Amino acid sequence: MADTSNQELTFTSSDGKNLQVPRDVAERSLLIKNMLDDLGDATEAIPIPNVTENVLTKVLEWCTHHRNDPPTTGDEDDSRRKTTDIEEWDQKFMQVDQEMLFEIILAANYLDIKPLLDIGCKTVANMIKGKSPEEIRKTFNIQNDFTPEEEDQIRRENEWAEE
Amino acid sequence: MVLSLSDLPEEILHSILLFCDPRDTSALERTARRFRGAANERLLWKNYCQTHFKFWDRRHDFRVKLSNQISAVDWKALYVSRHLVDTATDRLLDSILVSQTGRIEKFRSVINFGYDAKDGLLRNLLIDSDAEDYLARRYYAKALLTCLHRSIAIPEWIRLRDGDEVPLANALGAFDLFIPESRFGNLDEINGRLDEIFSRLCVEYPDVQGLSSREQASVIASFLRAHNLIGIESEREYHSLEHNFLGRALDDPGHNSLPLVSAVIYCHMARRLRLNARPCGFPFHVHVIVTPQPGFDIDGNLLLQSNTVGGEPIYMDPFRSDKETSVADLKAQLNFLGASPVEQSAFLGESRTSEIVSRCSKNVLNSLQRINQMPATRLVPIDPDCARYAALWSSLLFSNPLRPAELRHHLLWLMELLATDFPSDIHLIEQYIAPIFHGTMEFEHIVESLHVIRAVDEIPKQVKRRSSQLKSVSYHVGQVFRHRRYNYVAIITGWDLECGAGEQWMRRMGVDRLQSGRHQSFYHVIVEDKSVRYVAEENIEIISPAVSQLPPTLVAVAGKYFKRWDSNLREFVSNIRDEYPDN
Repeated sequence: MADTSNQELTFTSSDGKNLQVPRDVAERSLLIKNMLDDLGDATEAIPIPNVTENVLTKVLEWCTHHRNDPPTTGDEDDSRRKTTDIEEWDQKFMQVDQEMLFEIILAANYLDIKPLLDIGCKTVANMIKGKSPEEIRKTFNIQNDFTPEEEDQIRRENEWAEE
Repeated sequence: MVLSLSDLPEEILHSILLFCDPRDTSALERTARRFRGAANERLLWKNYCQTHFKFWDRRHDFRVKLSNQISAVDWKALYVSRHLVDTATDRLLDSILVSQTGRIEKFRSVINFGYDAKDGLLRNLLIDSDAEDYLARRYYAKALLTCLHRSIAIPEWIRLRDGDEVPLANALGAFDLFIPESRFGNLDEINGRLDEIFSRLCVEYPDVQGLSSREQASVIASFLRAHNLIGIESEREYHSLEHNFLGRALDDPGHNSLPLVSAVIYCHMARRLRLNARPCGFPFHVHVIVTPQPGFDIDGNLLLQSNTVGGEPIYMDPFRSDKETSVADLKAQLNFLGASPVEQSAFLGESRTSEIVSRCSKNVLNSLQRINQMPATRLVPIDPDCARYAALWSSLLFSNPLRPAELRHHLLWLMELLATDFPSDIHLIEQYIAPIFHGTMEFEHIVESLHVIRAVDEIPKQVKRRSSQLKSVSYHVGQVFRHRRYNYVAIITGWDLECGAGEQWMRRMGVDRLQSGRHQSFYHVIVEDKSVRYVAEENIEIISPAVSQLPPTLVAVAGKYFKRWDSNLREFVSNIRDEYPDN
């Protein structure tokens, strides 16, 4: 089989911009990797209909930095739940406004980039960590839509968690 | 529209919540309706149950629940109930550490949580040494955890005594639950380890199921011996204490075990193959007796219908050999020992499980006696007091009522250990030991002792202040010293202005022959062998070691009275200020 790692691919974002991507970077996305495995070769631009250019650029920045990571095996499900540690480079990478953070998470989910999805989810989990409901509402701009009765009932249901 | 947390699809909320602490999930649930669904998802709470707690009480049938359909279990309710046990355990332990009064009932409350309390206790047992009360926390967490394990072991013996069918591995594994070093906490864990060995056997001998009984008997012995899973390595002392414990034998890389334990491992494998194998009551060296299937001989040949007794059994000695032991040899040995024909048939017959427990109990006491005779071998990987305690319990539960003197003797020992080492077990003694002696003189003695222990526990300590007496008591609680005459290292745990022991004790110890006699300060001290002693001030030479220079056993037992080590003052920080507010 020919060495394809230096091959350049073209992605077209949802807002119609073209981006050049080395194949090994692109293959961090399992969606793209599986597609290329099926097609063998991609000579035309690949449309990424759900992701805008600025988000796609950010995602590809992550993929470039992590292009040499060992592939995830999928059987680490149990252990990875136990830690919300994020390595330093990824932490800096995730220092973006909330909208971009959620966009990255959605893009990682769509493109099937599990490690990036995990880092995004961990980042959100860390933003929730140790906060009261009121503090969480402030952080994420959530409207309290409970009636006073509902609120009272839910508070009682969750009394175990207070202390 | 600006994208926000509320806009994320359920599956992504689920992924986020998997990384959250359950308490954070609960907080998010309380913010808005949007999150109630994701925050109550059963799969999420099942995951929390699995990742946050390792040990589950038997009553939960946790393994069964895991394999059930997700809708069959209210995982959130289960998590919450378990979380509440965890926080209650922490609270009770905190309260035990704060005051010397009323500890027994708090111990009892923790033990009543069953195996569910284990995660919380382990967390406290493994606490970092920068916690301000790490020594006390570790000490009492360990005391509770070992008590919890014993509370699982003892009822298993009770079931056996009362005639229930108890697997051999459980009956013998119960000894391990007394031994913190064996690292087993319940009988399922020990059985699990045995079953792993059996799986390995099946992989190595894939056709074993189809073999005759005689062939199977030999395959098991070959397998166990080839992998060094039974027997004792040649350079080791046969009677070493650790060779008595099934779990220890399974866990230790050397897998050394006495014939009795080896036989039980062998019988477990045999039972899994539906082979009828039992330990045999042969004196001095436990063998295994393998009986053919009903209606067949040991080679699997059909017997004539007139033969109703069944085929002849064979004898195995897996501790020593892969091969059968000839019956003629065994009989010759018995003749040599002068056994009567009746005794011979008993010695060559199957042992009851309770007899195996009694035999193990005697072996343990025998090993302990050898330790006392040879002080050089004291450095065993197992706490002798815990081993003795296990042996005494089993001996009392399976005692021969025809030997009341031995029984009384063991009871005395047990009560002594209860008071010094295992005060958290008082409810176990009340429940299981006291009834054995109902209607005898000993019963009164037990009731009286338990009453005293409870009274001491319930009455607040008499406060001893130094203010006016400061000059006459030179040393204080927490200081470490070397005994001027006996040279041992110990810690001061209390003091009296002058000798407060009875006249008899003073005469026996020759207190009046001391330079300053009985009218000098005396100190209560704890020694590295865990013994508690009473020392005259003139025999005390205060030392200021680094904590690393102290025997680890002394530092561990210090937790009974002290919060931590103070490396600046080079002394222990008191946790008995309710008794000695000024140290």
